[in-house]
This record gives sequence, structure tokens and C-alpha cells, in this order.
Amino acid sequence: MKKIVLLFSFLATINAVAQEDLPSVDLTTIDGSSINITEATKKDNVVIVSLWATWCVPCLKELDAISDVYEDWQDETNVELIAVSVDDSRTVKRVKPLINGKGWDYEILLDENNDFKRALGASTVPLTLLIKDNKIVYRHSGYTPGSENELYEKVKEYSN
Amino acid sequence: MKKLLFLFSIILSTVVFAQDTGSFYGGFESNTQWLLDDEGILFDAPSDQLRSNNYFQLNYNLGKFTAGIQYEAYLPSALLGYSPVYDNQNGIAHYFLNYKDEKLDVTGGYFYEQFGSGLILRTWEDRQLGVNNALRGIRVRFNATENLDLTGIYGQQRNGFEVSEGTVQGVDANYNLSNALNLETVDLKVGASYVGRYQDVNGNDTIPDVVSAFGGRLDFVIGNVYGGIEANAKSKDVIANEGQISTNKLYDGTSMQVNVGYAQKGFGVNGTFRRLENWSFYSDRLAEGNVFNQQILNYVPALTKQQDYLLTNIYVYNSQPRLIIDSFDQRAGEVGTQFDLFYSFKKDSWAGKYKTKIAANFSYWAGLDAEYNVENAFYDAKFVGNGSRLFRDFSVEVKNKWSKSLNTVFTFQDVIIDKGVSQGGPVGTQGEIHAYIAVLEATYKFGGNKSVRAVAQHLFDKDGEKNITAEDGSFIDASRIDGNWAGGVVEYNFNSNYSLYVADSWNYGGQGEEHYYNIGGSYTKGRVRAAMNYGRQRGGLICVGGVCRFVPTNTGVSANLVVSF
Repeated sequence: MKKIVLLFSFLATINAVAQEDLPSVDLTTIDGSSINITEATKKDNVVIVSLWATWCVPCLKELDAISDVYEDWQDETNVELIAVSVDDSRTVKRVKPLINGKGWDYEILLDENNDFKRALGASTVPLTLLIKDNKIVYRHSGYTPGSENELYEKVKEYSN
Repeated sequence: MKKLLFLFSIILSTVVFAQDTGSFYGGFESNTQWLLDDEGILFDAPSDQLRSNNYFQLNYNLGKFTAGIQYEAYLPSALLGYSPVYDNQNGIAHYFLNYKDEKLDVTGGYFYEQFGSGLILRTWEDRQLGVNNALRGIRVRFNATENLDLTGIYGQQRNGFEVSEGTVQGVDANYNLSNALNLETVDLKVGASYVGRYQDVNGNDTIPDVVSAFGGRLDFVIGNVYGGIEANAKSKDVIANEGQISTNKLYDGTSMQVNVGYAQKGFGVNGTFRRLENWSFYSDRLAEGNVFNQQILNYVPALTKQQDYLLTNIYVYNSQPRLIIDSFDQRAGEVGTQFDLFYSFKKDSWAGKYKTKIAANFSYWAGLDAEYNVENAFYDAKFVGNGSRLFRDFSVEVKNKWSKSLNTVFTFQDVIIDKGVSQGGPVGTQGEIHAYIAVLEATYKFGGNKSVRAVAQHLFDKDGEKNITAEDGSFIDASRIDGNWAGGVVEYNFNSNYSLYVADSWNYGGQGEEHYYNIGGSYTKGRVRAAMNYGRQRGGLICVGGVCRFVPTNTGVSANLVVSF
């Protein structure tokens, strides 16, 4: 019990000092080059970073749903979406045909041994982040139909 | 504990004295179950009914330095089906200190690493599977030139809260050939790896203390076509089963993977071929084939489609890299192939106003075609040959959007699996299970982020009746719970934060006509996700990322909490 109390007080303290910095992790582009996520998100406006996998049905639903309205979002707010695949070597070969087959216009990065996922403390995908000036300003895990609208509200809120 | 205090004093002092105070990040995850007696599925809850796996991870980053720890507690017992090395244990299981700049990346402590596709080395964490095979030691990554990067590792592998007996060392190099040769139209990358394991032989000079594995790979992209090849070989080693050396002979091993794909907007196709021969690699020679995947050094996932629904997850393949030569079971590895196809119709095509999307997958895996001489513990395997079929899967999935509020997914799967792979025992000799599965999923979106999702599914076991009853109708096989299944899920999402679901898989063609029902709900917001569930778990393989662990049938209440910061 003592341990649990200790743990929770610890958690509370950490939460108080936790900053929303995006962890600096190297990812791989779809062509195999290395890029740091903090470089990839260095854009003028907010950037959506979505952790997904080819085997994750809610992830595909979310990215499909956003894909349908992505053009409008970009016209209105200039927002960009970076879809970071956490597929490991079992399924990572499926990423390229899948994104093409689906016709997504997102920038795709690969997190093959889940370094980025781990650094974010994410136990499940999808995990959607809004990044502005290297800070995580909004995060949401899981997908339910319509939650892309909430995400877009946040995008507009944080847009220049 | 000392190490921990040391780490924290470093962190604290930096926080206090540094001007840039750096940042903390990490997470807490708790997965708990309370097991309950259930006569309906003949489940007697064990005396330690409460089981809980807890992980607390904290990292601190300041400039080029990052330090982290992970505390784990499996109290009073680990979840059902996890390795007993975790039961009733807690402590700091993982810590590291990392320095990273543009040229150099050095980690001391525990680290995760992967060479190539992982066939030769991969250390990773999967909490659902109970796998954490991080290495404890040192890793140095060095970007030697613009086109060449090198990685060196040295350490011992984690085994529960201890480390393995063996010591592992490795080197990995990646070279960007097309950059170096200024090739514009072709993108070429090559890589090479070495992994060695040293383990004391305790005076037995007939077995090797060092086992070395070497590998090479090449990846290319030419316009819309891309692909790669990877080949590895491992020096002679003993084979072991259930903690005992099986024969007095030594065997080498090989693995090979070839992948080719084509992708353009709206269309993508990918094919993979893989052959494994005696391709088990563990940090302790006696750990080979342990069902909990402890001390495993490499990653040999089943290359099949990861299925998403209740009934498509009953007959799942588990890769067969092992060499076994004894009188009742002989195997040398596996060979097979997998194809994927993805296609989107254009908007307003004959297939509907919105884009209809199709995904299809085919996979075929066979045991290596080999001749065995059990008496002399000798075997000879062909490269492809015509080994017994272990798994064959064809599936197609059609996604439609009918209006702004209605989406459907239709899935059909035709699967054949070897009984030994699915249920244990020798493979290739016990016969097969052949099933057809159809799934229809519909999601309807109301206003205000409310939505409902319903899934109806059916599994038709082609030979189910034959398997359960003899021709005169008498019952013959009590161990086989199968035959036909029907299943359904209804999920209601109140908004993007709350959802509730009920699900049932009904094995109406099986001996006991069991229902595996579940009811649960989840809450997710920002950094927090909490879920509760009550119901029955169907016994069998739980597979994550193509690696599987066996869970016994059970009934209980489970609670999950994840907080990240």
C-alpha cells in the first residue's frame, strides 16, 4: 500500500513538472532515410502526428475519415498530418502499398522498433497529437467516429 | 536500488542547478484481473484470484542527455499465461542513460535494438505478450559518414528481473549506396550484421561456447517498384527442448527473406517470401522454444495478415523456425509466401459515390521438406520442396462509405491450419482444420460524436462435425473445442471519450456449445485511458505482431489504466 501511495504522490509531482516537449526520436522515412521527429514537425503551423499501424482498424478508420476532409482542412488552416506507423518488421512491408492503395496524402514515417511510441508512453494506437513549436498541445488516444471533428476544432484553436 | 538512487540524484541535481530544467516524460500502465470460478466453461479460478501487471516508466531529458527507469510490479501474481519468472515480483526492471548528438548515440543500461528485419537480432517490449528482452550493457551508434552508420552492442539479455546467462555482442552497419554513387533514379541501401552469443559450457567441450550469426541485406526503390532481400546464417549449435539438450549433434541454421512491391496512388501490391531453417536464436541455449518467448534474441513473426475480429482470430498461424528431430515429432523450419493487394476505387465510380476500398491477402506456409534419420539425429532439407502445409489463408476486405453517417466493412476469410500449429503437439501429422469466416461490420454516426458499431460474424468449420463425432454419432474428441461459431459485437460511443460494448462468440457447433461473452467500457481523455471488462476469455493463442503466447480459458473481471505524461 505504501508503495502505491508513494507511486501516486510521485505521479502527481511528475505531472506538475512534466513539460509537453516532443521527445527527440529518430524515425525512418518511407524511402529508408533517417529523420528526427522534431525536424519533421518543424512547420509554420500546427502539425497533427498520428501513431497508427496497418493492423489497427480504428487507426485506419481515423486516417480514412481525415483523408476524406483533409483537403478542406489544409485549405482552411494549412495543417499537415504526419502518420507515424508503429508496424514492426512483420507488417512494415505492408505500409507502402496500403497508403498508396488508400490514396492518403499524409507524410508517412516509420517507427519500426517503437522507440517513438515508447517515448510517448503510448501503450495503444491510435494516438493523435497536435504539435506546435515542438510542444504537444493536445493528445487523444483511441478513435470513435466523429472524433476527427473534435481534433479539427483543436487544430483551429491552435492555428495561427 | 543503489543504481536508482544514483540516477535520481543525477536527475535532481541537474534540475536544481541547470538553467534549462529539461523535461520529464513517461507513463503508468496497470492491467489487473480478478478471476472467477465458471462452471459453464469448466474454469476453476486459481487461489491467487487477483493478478496485476503494473509498469511505471519515467524519463528525463536534458539537452543531449536522457535518463530513464521502468519500475514493474506483478503483484500478487502476474496475469494468467505470463511467464512464472514475473510472479510476485517487483522492482526496477529497466534503466538507461543516453547521450545523443548528431554523430554519436551512446546508451548504457538497458536498451532495445533491431538489426535489419529482426531475423538476426531484435530486443523489444510487448506488455500484452509479456515480452521484454532488452539487453543490459552498452550500445554505441555512430554516423561515421553521411552514408554510413554503425551500431555496436554488448550486454546480457533481460530475463524477468534477472539477466540471462549468455553474453551477446553485435555489430550492424548500414550503407547508402545510391547516395555514395550519386545514383538518381535508383535508391539502394545495403546492410550487414554480426551477432555472437557467448555462454559458459561448464566443462562440456562437445558444445560450442560461442555461436555466431552473420547476415546481409539489400533494399532498393526504383520508381514505383521497391523491394529487398535479407539472408542470414548461424554457426553450429546444439538444439534443445524444454530445457534439455535434445541430441549429441550440432546444427547450423539459415534464414532468408525476399520482398517485392509496387505502389502508385490508389493501388499497391506486395509479396514476401521467407525461408527459415533451424532459425531459433536465444541468449541461453537451453531456453529454445520456451512458450513464454523469454530470452529470445531474434524476431520471427508469422508473416500472415493480422486479423481484427473475434472469429478471425481463432485459427492464427505461429511461425515454425525450430529444428526438432525425435521419434514422434520432426521439423526443420518453414517456407512460404504472403501477398497483399490494396485498391481504392475513384470517387463517384460504379462502386459508389464515395471511395470503395479493397484489401486482399493470401499466405501459404509449409514445413520444410526434409528427410529425417531419427536414430542418427540427422536431417536433410530441400530449399523449397513440397513440405506439409501448415497454414493457408485467403482473405478479402471491402470498405464502403454509403453516406456521411454510414460505413460498412465486409470481410471474408478462407483459412486452413495444421492442428499441431493451432493446438499443440507434433506438426504436419495430426490433420488440418478448414474454416470459412464471414464478417459484416457497420458503423452509424449520429450527430454530436455519438455512434454505434455492430459486427456480425460466422465461422463455418468445414470438417467440424467429422472432428467431434464418429460416423456412428458417438463423441470422439473431447479436446477439440470447435465446429461452427457465431459471433457479434455491439459498441456504443457516447462521444469520443466514453464507450460501452457487449460481445459474444458462441461455439454452437462445439461440444459444450459455450458462449464466450464479454461486456465492458472505456474512458479516454488526453493522457488517460481506463477500461473495464467482464467476461470469458477463449483459451488459445494470443498473438501480437505475429508472436503468440498461450492463454488458458478463463473468466473474470479486468481493469486497465494507462496514464502518460
